[in-house]
Amino acid sequence: MSLSKEDLKLIGIIAAIVLIFFYIILGFSGMLSALGIILIFIVPVYYILDNFELDTDEKLVFAFFISAGIFPSISYWLGTLISFKLAILITFVILLVIGFLIGKFKKK
Amino acid sequence: MKIKKSYLEILAFLAVYLFAVYMWTLPFQDNKIPYGEFDAISHWEIADSFAQMDKTYVYLPPFIDYSYGTDNRFKPHTLWYHPPFHTDLAMISAFFNDRMVPIYLTNAIFASSILISVFFVIRKLFGFLPALLSEFMLTFSMRDIWPYLWGQWPERFAYAFIPLILYCFYMYFTTYSKENSKPIYLYIMAILLAINMMIHPLAIFHSLVGIFVLGIFLIIKLRKIPFNLKHIGIALIFFIILFAIFPYQTGNIFKTFTREQSTESKPTFSRLFKWSFNPEDYAGSVPAGYFSFKEMHGLWTLPFLLIGILALAIRRQNRDLFLLAWLVSLYLVLHRDIIGKTELLHRSLSATAHIFVPITVLSLFIIISFIKIPKIYKLFFKYGVAVLIVALTLAYNMPLAYSTLNEAYDSPIIRLNAEQIEVSEWLKDNIDENQNVSIIGPPAQIMQKVWWMASYSHRVSLFFEGFMTWKIFEENREEVVKYHLLNDYIVVDYSDISLLSDRSFVEQWQEFEKQNLANHTLLYNKDNIRVYKYEP
Repeated sequence: MSLSKEDLKLIGIIAAIVLIFFYIILGFSGMLSALGIILIFIVPVYYILDNFELDTDEKLVFAFFISAGIFPSISYWLGTLISFKLAILITFVILLVIGFLIGKFKKK
Repeated sequence: MKIKKSYLEILAFLAVYLFAVYMWTLPFQDNKIPYGEFDAISHWEIADSFAQMDKTYVYLPPFIDYSYGTDNRFKPHTLWYHPPFHTDLAMISAFFNDRMVPIYLTNAIFASSILISVFFVIRKLFGFLPALLSEFMLTFSMRDIWPYLWGQWPERFAYAFIPLILYCFYMYFTTYSKENSKPIYLYIMAILLAINMMIHPLAIFHSLVGIFVLGIFLIIKLRKIPFNLKHIGIALIFFIILFAIFPYQTGNIFKTFTREQSTESKPTFSRLFKWSFNPEDYAGSVPAGYFSFKEMHGLWTLPFLLIGILALAIRRQNRDLFLLAWLVSLYLVLHRDIIGKTELLHRSLSATAHIFVPITVLSLFIIISFIKIPKIYKLFFKYGVAVLIVALTLAYNMPLAYSTLNEAYDSPIIRLNAEQIEVSEWLKDNIDENQNVSIIGPPAQIMQKVWWMASYSHRVSLFFEGFMTWKIFEENREEVVKYHLLNDYIVVDYSDISLLSDRSFVEQWQEFEKQNLANHTLLYNKDNIRVYKYEP
């Protein structure tokens, strides 16, 4: 899905509003936590769902709820073997790779 | 510059949602110290331990095993809930030097995500304005706020999946034909169902009953049965894979929900005509107000709710059936005591606002749609109704919600003080995790603090509670002290002295310390808290 310049502007504005908001009410760790929530619970699974015929709002909402189950499941099992922080990073990459591969497969 | 309508809608949604998050984070905006009842402690300590240890575990560490070692009935000494919820909280916390805000904020976002899913589903099916108003009203839902504050964290998040699961089923069903269909909705439904179970098992029963009722309604209305073996097969594979990822916890669900449940009182026929339960049956554990429609939803919503149900039943469009099926399924789940299933029964009541609110809001819009008047007047009425709902919500629902959140756990007796946190951190860093730690100090009225200290320090023992107040050791206290405390670390905590009205406790502790600990190694002595190594 290609985002228009206007869409990107809106995403930027929303991100700025959200981060400033959390900084005001909960300080720096609140702001960074909000950023972490967006990165972990939306980005990778959205990238996977972007390969399917769904509306943008559907992709966003489903990404959040699916991520809350899929992402930690992988991180948890990896975390029993390696550093938990490393497990989170690896999970992030795994999900992005899955998204990329599905995209490639679907194009074929 | 002309701004797209969809952008304005997004910004309006965001404004209401951020306001809701502002409200729901009030308990920890000014006081960043963990709080909550025993459930909250258990959820926080699992998440915090993953993040602090930088590893996850299958078998519980001693300080959690002490309290929850048998909660997993299928495989004792392992996590009793599926790990994803706590891992979610831990993932946000893992990269920070802050043990409170990341976990509590992530939980607040999860707990308030019912606003997101209800907004999403109502907007898709009924339009933007009813969706926004539903989101706004849910911000003040006391049936959500109270359990959220008490610590029923995973359950709050799990309920947010129900409308989405029903939506996926609805989309698959209504768009299905032999030539053309959208199986992606069925696959996503299967994935969401499995995750729903992982977050909290109670919610998957709500979802399954919802799918069943919605399926029957749609079969009758549309006179078709969407049956495609390939679609169902793929969806089942997704579900089974996720279902099998955590066998110990899934096994625990089966063990828990299939065990014999002893009920003292048999439900009467009149129960069928009530949504709620008798508050007296839950006295001491749940406040009576939780069972009151007036206190939880506001009496003003009742006529609108009833009109809404009637209007939906008369109109019976596909989307109306969606809401009615959701409502009927909740009714069925809330009456499972009729067939003897009472496990977590009153917890299901906390899902009522999620369907009552959209029906309340929609009642007015449906009534307007029934009236034959020029379009311009309809528009006028529509926005008039919106203003009315906002005004009534602000007048009747907001005050209690705001004061409850703003004053929640706002007492030094309930939350740890800085000195207690410091000694807990010291214990965590300086003693082995298998060592026993006993706290001597807090009387029964602030016993909760001891549990929070156990969580914060990741250390616990049989005596990590108000030792001096334990009646069971009254007779043989001398013996217990002599033999059982051997090699324990003893924390004597006077940091809350100024908060105690009963000074006799303090004298009792001081006497105990003088008599029993004077000859033992003092390891920590700061801010009215001392730690001894109790050794021969």
